[in-house]
Amino acid sequence: MKKLLLVVFVLAATIFMGQQITVIGPWSGAEKDAFMPVLEKFEEQTAIEVQYQIYRAEDLANLLPAQFATKRTPGDVIFMWTSFMEKNTEHIVNLSDIIKPENFRPGALDNVTVDGEIIGIPYTGKVKPGFWYRKSFFEEHGLTEPKTWDEFVALLEDISKIEGITAPIASGNGVGWPLSDVTEHFILTFGGAELQKDLIAGNVNWTGETAKKPINKLASLLSEGYFGEPVEWTTVLEQWWQGQYGLYFMGQWLTGMVDDPSDLGVLALPGNEAVVFALDYAFIPKYSKNVDAAKQLIEFLAGPEGQTAQVEQGGHIASANGVPLDAYPPVDREIAELLEGKATVNDLDDSIGGMWQTTFWDQLKLLWVRPGRLDSVLESLQSKMP
Amino acid sequence: MELRKARISNFVVFVLPALFLLAVFVLYPTFRTIFMSFVGPEGELTLQNYQSVFASGDIINFKNIQQGQFPFGTLVHNALWIAIHLPLTTFLGLFLATLLRDVKGGAIIKSVIFLGMVMPLVVGGIMIRFMFDGNIGIVNLFFKTLGLPTQTWTAYPETSLLALIFGSVWLWTGFSMIIYSAGLETIPKTYYEAAEIDGASKLRIFFSITIPMLKPITVVVVTMTLLWELKIFDIVYVATMGGPGGSSNVLALQMYLYGFRAWDFNKAAVMAVLITGLTIFAAIPLIRSAGEENVQ
Amino acid sequence: MRKKRLAGNILKNSLGWIIALVWILPIAGIFMTAIRPYSEVINGWWQFEEFNPTFSNFTGALFHESSPLLQGMINSLYIAVPATIIPLILATMAGYGIARYRFPLRKTFIITVVMTLALPQQMIAVPIFQIMSSLGLVDSFWGLILVHTAWGIPWTTFFMRNYFKTLPVTIEEAARIDGASDSQIFFRVVLPNAFPAIASAAALQFTWVWSDFFLALILIYSPSKILATQRIPLMRGQYQVDWGLLSAASILVMIVPIMIYILLQRYYVRGMVGWTIK
Repeated sequence: MKKLLLVVFVLAATIFMGQQITVIGPWSGAEKDAFMPVLEKFEEQTAIEVQYQIYRAEDLANLLPAQFATKRTPGDVIFMWTSFMEKNTEHIVNLSDIIKPENFRPGALDNVTVDGEIIGIPYTGKVKPGFWYRKSFFEEHGLTEPKTWDEFVALLEDISKIEGITAPIASGNGVGWPLSDVTEHFILTFGGAELQKDLIAGNVNWTGETAKKPINKLASLLSEGYFGEPVEWTTVLEQWWQGQYGLYFMGQWLTGMVDDPSDLGVLALPGNEAVVFALDYAFIPKYSKNVDAAKQLIEFLAGPEGQTAQVEQGGHIASANGVPLDAYPPVDREIAELLEGKATVNDLDDSIGGMWQTTFWDQLKLLWVRPGRLDSVLESLQSKMP
Repeated sequence: MELRKARISNFVVFVLPALFLLAVFVLYPTFRTIFMSFVGPEGELTLQNYQSVFASGDIINFKNIQQGQFPFGTLVHNALWIAIHLPLTTFLGLFLATLLRDVKGGAIIKSVIFLGMVMPLVVGGIMIRFMFDGNIGIVNLFFKTLGLPTQTWTAYPETSLLALIFGSVWLWTGFSMIIYSAGLETIPKTYYEAAEIDGASKLRIFFSITIPMLKPITVVVVTMTLLWELKIFDIVYVATMGGPGGSSNVLALQMYLYGFRAWDFNKAAVMAVLITGLTIFAAIPLIRSAGEENVQ
Repeated sequence: MRKKRLAGNILKNSLGWIIALVWILPIAGIFMTAIRPYSEVINGWWQFEEFNPTFSNFTGALFHESSPLLQGMINSLYIAVPATIIPLILATMAGYGIARYRFPLRKTFIITVVMTLALPQQMIAVPIFQIMSSLGLVDSFWGLILVHTAWGIPWTTFFMRNYFKTLPVTIEEAARIDGASDSQIFFRVVLPNAFPAIASAAALQFTWVWSDFFLALILIYSPSKILATQRIPLMRGQYQVDWGLLSAASILVMIVPIMIYILLQRYYVRGMVGWTIK
């Protein structure tokens, strides 16, 4: 009798466990609210219950190695940096049988392909398209989008003369990514996607002429005082919206942070043909108690169904093929279209990570207030490359 | 005083539990860290960790020192911290202890000054960042009223370390003041009375009686302050994270960056050993006095 | 002569109070910024054209969506209370043991204890992280409590030992003559007399554990578990909070040790002095 009860219990437990998986992601607040409908859609379609747990990537970087070492895992589907995945392939489920490159934007799977095996999926992401401005602001002062570098500098000069302007371009402060995003835009514009990729891979020296050129362009604008002093990025956002600055470089999540998204315009540096597409990636750890259910979820998230559900919430761009343009809310649609002609690359400092990223942010804060120290900044960056 | 000889049961009950925890969680890790600093990538014993740390310019940046521009290297930054903070807090503490002895409501004033010591250093870091902010900081209000230019001190390489140091004076002075206050109480009044009868001036009394009598306390104050300055971490982490461009980096923060950002535990161990070497050296007076009194 | 002394007194008192006022300015500033909406103080908290005190910054910090400070403070309490009680018990016993009995290697033990006072937390950080990882205690409260206990033992032992040395042995001797055992003597005779020292040590240890940042940074990660001190830099960095919320959070985190200082001031100060001087 006891044995029978035990069997029933174990069976019930397996069935119960078979019905539930945990997804781990870094999003909280409004971003988390945007993710929930996607999970709900999945739950409707399958009988699988999905729990969501918040863990930031930095925290996972500490937690997961310890857990994996004892063959445990806090979640069945985990969103994480690809640099982490690359170093931990022995703990990750191979997805090559269910994930195929032709179903995605070109290059989307690069980061999660190790030795020809696909170990993770690209989900949706945010683009960092360029400098945002208020259309009403431009109209009021008769400004137009520049078509050449000289026109861009002239635009900055014009803005600087407007009354009430602290500086033409707002600089966001914080841990440091607002400054690094602007810097990468310059790298991409003057060095192209190739330079970004080379820098990430460590094939190009920061102190060499190729890398120096875009940073020099940036420094020249800094020296002229066209950038404002770094201020907390959410505070300066408010100040930019109020008209103390003309331009603000920001990722597309900006559209969800202003009162009137229809007043937003975005311009890239003239000549820019590549943008950072910060995709979120996810993987399944081998120690998941329910790999099959996890695989179902991951297929859903990687496919047009899941990604359409996500982009409909706004603020996301899909990596999977087959997501119709009209699924995007109007503002995002413009960005999705803008993306059509351009190459997409990974975020530079996220890809290199570790201490280099901390150094990069720290050095940029220095560059912003002391553009004359350009050479020592580049040397420091090179010396800390892994 | 006669000490009783201990029985095994005494030892086990009274001392062993504490000793056990100490051994496992403090002593063993200490020796292990020393060991780790000498271990290379293949597990062999090597000096390369030390070499690469010292060659990196993170400890001492000779080039920048020559050019006179921050960052000078974490060791130099800590040294600067000591050079400015130690004399300021010691003298200020002594001055305040002496002054407030005779002031009405002196106890309240002392409490106010001591608040800096009571608050968590993480909050202290926020206070410093706040004080030196370009828009809402009082230091800049002060400068503005004097007609001097204002800026957010912590955003510029030349001033970020200085802001932290001066802010930390505001935080730590309470310590030396309280210790000196207690010390002043212990000087017998009879000494002062005798000196006054002899016609000595207040100043003379101060330098000939007070200061020499405070010497042992001064040793303690200086040692504790030195230790604090060498170990400083929280304030820097919160206020500047060592920036901009590493110009306010300190030894303890660099250890953290090596260990928990770069995940290079061996280099982190080198930093830890370095800091500990300095702190043990600074604590020699303390250690000596602890050893001496056991002759009883 | 009297006039001179009077003038001197007035000078002293004025100087003392001016210093006090200047000294409290930073705290006043952060208090002002905490109780007013941020838009009012954006150009300086000394501007008083508009003055609408509010609790909104405090509630905003305590119940912040991404990192509620209330949860952090409860977590900090969860750590600080055991990490005060346990080391105090162990160290009082050890301090007594060293003060009254001759052990082999006693002198070495004392010198080791003093040397650990000079030790920076960085020295044990990495191996502690590795030990806790292998014990599965990373990101667990008890792991951190264990480390704080061990870390607090050297200084509390030293402190209690110094205190016990000042207690006359005669009372204990008398009890022993009456036939009391060693542990009876400790618990019935010595401990009640040790209350002031224990109170001082407890006040200091609690404050230091509450204020700790580095050890928590190394050992605690889950968003729901991070302590109050860890949430402060997060609010400045990750979650980009405005100065209003940040000031309120700072005040909340420092209120606890300040309360302890105010309520137990006598013991606190005595503790600080006694710990540093013999």
